[in-house]
Amino acid sequence: VLHTARPLHTTRQRSAPLPPLPEKGGKVRFGLIPEEFFQFLYPKTGVTGPYMLGTGLVLYLLSKEIYVINHETVAAACILSIIIYGVKKFGPSVADFADKLNEEKVAKALAVKNEAIQDLESAIEQEKKEQWRVEGHHYLFDAKRNNIAMLLETNYRERLLMVYNEVKKRLDYQVAMQTLKRQKEQDHMIQWVEKNVIQSITPQQQKESIAKCIVDLKALSKTAQAAV
Amino acid sequence: MAGRRAAVKAVDWAAFAERVPPNQKAMFNALKTRSDALSARLAALPEKPPTIDWAYYKSVVAKAGMVDEFQKKFSALKVPEPVDTQTAKVNAQEQEAAKSTAEYVQASKARIAQYEQQLQKLRNMIPFEQMTYEDLHEAFPETRLDKEKYPYWPHKPIADL
Repeated sequence: VLHTARPLHTTRQRSAPLPPLPEKGGKVRFGLIPEEFFQFLYPKTGVTGPYMLGTGLVLYLLSKEIYVINHETVAAACILSIIIYGVKKFGPSVADFADKLNEEKVAKALAVKNEAIQDLESAIEQEKKEQWRVEGHHYLFDAKRNNIAMLLETNYRERLLMVYNEVKKRLDYQVAMQTLKRQKEQDHMIQWVEKNVIQSITPQQQKESIAKCIVDLKALSKTAQAAV
Repeated sequence: MAGRRAAVKAVDWAAFAERVPPNQKAMFNALKTRSDALSARLAALPEKPPTIDWAYYKSVVAKAGMVDEFQKKFSALKVPEPVDTQTAKVNAQEQEAAKSTAEYVQASKARIAQYEQQLQKLRNMIPFEQMTYEDLHEAFPETRLDKEKYPYWPHKPIADL
């Protein structure tokens, strides 16, 4: 009746997610009797009440032979003692092992989630950086315009320089031509005058001039001493 | 002469270099070397050519009117400025770049919003210790097992185990 009439666990309206599971189970004494029973009897019978109740019950069952002691009792006693010994000795380590397995599973899931969070954060960082990068596009165009301006300016200056150079070359050529012509004329005239003078020296004049030179030399040699 | 010195704006190469993404560094270096070469060439040329000493030439050159004629023609000569054809293109490029930049920034912001959303979802998730499998499937839809496509356990192709 309960299963078919009311659909369970189908609504998604939960006020809160599942509360976390308790770490340890409820406290029990003798592994069987929950602590709440002892608390329940405490006001009326004090601390020893439940123990007395338990002892009385056991004795009642044994003495009235409601529970008959037979070979199965011995088997039960042996088996139970071994089980209890085993659980008490190895219980905690097995529990730890199981807990570790669970921890690993949860840790893996957590690692995946953390990695996802980090990936997203770094992606956001990247996007912001790319935005910042892209904002600098005006640099590129400034550089381009600068290049163009520099090229134009260079070209203009080169043209000016070329004009100046050409004009100067032509003027210098004229000047050089003139100086060369003047020099050639001078040389030619000098040569011509020399030639004519040499021609006009008659042999008689030559003898006279040589004799005069010798006389002068003799006079000079008297006054000047030969330097050694 | 108007527009002769089309202002050479100082480009902050350091800041520019910072913003260049690594895969375009080669292009940036090429641009920089070219710019530097141009500016070196520009700096090497004097702004005005030296003036011709007309008096000297007038006194030396014998031919009568030649120097005067040269001087007259020289001072009357106007060197044409080179015409600027490219700046308009660069400006047009810049407009386009500005537009595509704005688009890219828009798209980038949309992506960031998406990422932020997912980030919020992940951050506000309940801890795994308190989850049931239903909660897990809500948080990570890809973990949901398709019970219609694979009706028998393990509800996914064996190769995916």
